[in-house]
Amino acid sequence: MTTESKKTPLYDWHTAQGANMALFGGYTMPLWYPAGIKTEHLSVITHAGIFDTSHMAVVTITGSGAFSLLQKCFSKDLEACIGQKKAPLSSGRSVYGVFLNDKGEVIDDAVLSKIAENHYMVVVNAGMGNLISQLLMDNNEADDVVIIDLTDQLGKMDVQGPLSTKILNHVIKDADKIFNRFPYFSFKGHFDAGVPCEEPVLLNDGTPVLLSRTGYTGEFGFEIFVEKEHTVKLWELILDAGSSTGFIPCGLAARDSLRAGAGLPLSHQDVGPWLFCNNPWTFVLPYNKDQSGFSKKFTGDQALLLQEDAEFTYAFVGFDPRKIATEDADVYLNVDENESIGKILTCATDMAVGRHEEKIFSLASPNRPENFKPRGLSCGFIKVNTPLIEGQSLIIKDDRRKIKVVVTNDIRPDRTARRPIKEMLS
Amino acid sequence: MKEINELELPEDVRYSKDHEWAKSDGETIRIGVDDYAQDQLGDIVFVEMPEVGDKFGKDDVFGSIESVKAVADLFMPVGGEVTAINTDLEDAPELVNQSPYGDGWMIEIKVDNSSDLEDLMTKEAYLAVLQGSE
Repeated sequence: MTTESKKTPLYDWHTAQGANMALFGGYTMPLWYPAGIKTEHLSVITHAGIFDTSHMAVVTITGSGAFSLLQKCFSKDLEACIGQKKAPLSSGRSVYGVFLNDKGEVIDDAVLSKIAENHYMVVVNAGMGNLISQLLMDNNEADDVVIIDLTDQLGKMDVQGPLSTKILNHVIKDADKIFNRFPYFSFKGHFDAGVPCEEPVLLNDGTPVLLSRTGYTGEFGFEIFVEKEHTVKLWELILDAGSSTGFIPCGLAARDSLRAGAGLPLSHQDVGPWLFCNNPWTFVLPYNKDQSGFSKKFTGDQALLLQEDAEFTYAFVGFDPRKIATEDADVYLNVDENESIGKILTCATDMAVGRHEEKIFSLASPNRPENFKPRGLSCGFIKVNTPLIEGQSLIIKDDRRKIKVVVTNDIRPDRTARRPIKEMLS
Repeated sequence: MKEINELELPEDVRYSKDHEWAKSDGETIRIGVDDYAQDQLGDIVFVEMPEVGDKFGKDDVFGSIESVKAVADLFMPVGGEVTAINTDLEDAPELVNQSPYGDGWMIEIKVDNSSDLEDLMTKEAYLAVLQGSE
């Protein structure tokens, strides 16, 4: 087995720009560029930023048995998962869910997209392509199912922030047409010109891409998949198109603080090898209408229904930017308490938010106070042994300091990810 | 991050191995973190300060400095009693990045032993330490 780290097609670009590089998920990735984490984080809230996410793994599943295989292994009910009415997953739509083991523990989280009938694409975390491919192969009972890990053949980048369409307008052919009707968690086009699609998305030079209205920042934007050889070209085209609008490359550190403020979990840190229940993300489970059980059978369902020794995961938000180091940090109900009720899973600073008269505003809040200059708030997730209610005060503590935080359902307000695309074009 | 030869290291302050600076102004000594520290930490978002009247020995932790990347302890380059703190940092911690030896100063102390200051490093000695740790 090799321990050498992998590089994305943009590695040389990152190092030439003076990015601070570090190992993440087996890849040497940019943590931040010279502009710094704070500038990068804020640019995604007020303008837009671009992230190299080529380290994420892409697996395709094709064949007549693909649907039933995914129904068995993936948490979402693909017959009932789109919108309030729980419509079936249709071509051009994506859903977020988890792969569980028999014990109801998370193997990885994923975005699953239906490319066409009997053709699905799953995007999982860095280094997880092999494991998820193997899991699917082990569970497959159909003869014609083909599972391919495309990770090493693709480049991927995320353009995130309210100006995303304005920037991509310059790069994509017939952008007006492409951006007309483009719901959250849908996608258009395909990176492989050989895959027939209703509405191909092409760069101005004809290079095909898969353009997906998804992301990991909580803000309006897109994920773009392209064949590996076109990665650097596309990255530079997009950066060039946005250069006059405060558009900058962003590293994994800003990605982490943005996702924490958006209440999104990091796989293997906020969800992982423990029972997937009593957390902010159980909407990915296929509950039936009265929440008494599940609408389909899937791996891990029995363990989830039993919920033995289940712990509770909550989002929290603090009162200033101070963080707690998550290694061996504990959670207490109050300052004098000696008995810890749990652990911190994530603690980051969302630099775009601040408190004003007991309410949290973001730099992007339309109703923010005049001259609002946020100092940032610590936020993240805790896993505790007792149920808590929203607004419950807690003390989180490492060996350096203790800080007061409260349990919350939402951290950064007025996020743009779900805004109708019409509002983002003008 | 800056190369060592790009660091701003004024001649009129003394440096500690923990990257604090101290500058004597007769009775009092002003303390902050140097250009190397602020550059390593990146965007500073919070400075945790002691209170006026607190007493610390040399090398004691007198507060902490938090950037988006990390939290670092602040160590006393010399022992003494805190006589003033820079309250501007409460609302504008980025002053430490912008002006580490000027508006980004942290505390003033009445020094216990004025000869302590002489034990701190000159610019030349500090540069040699930084170069040695590369």
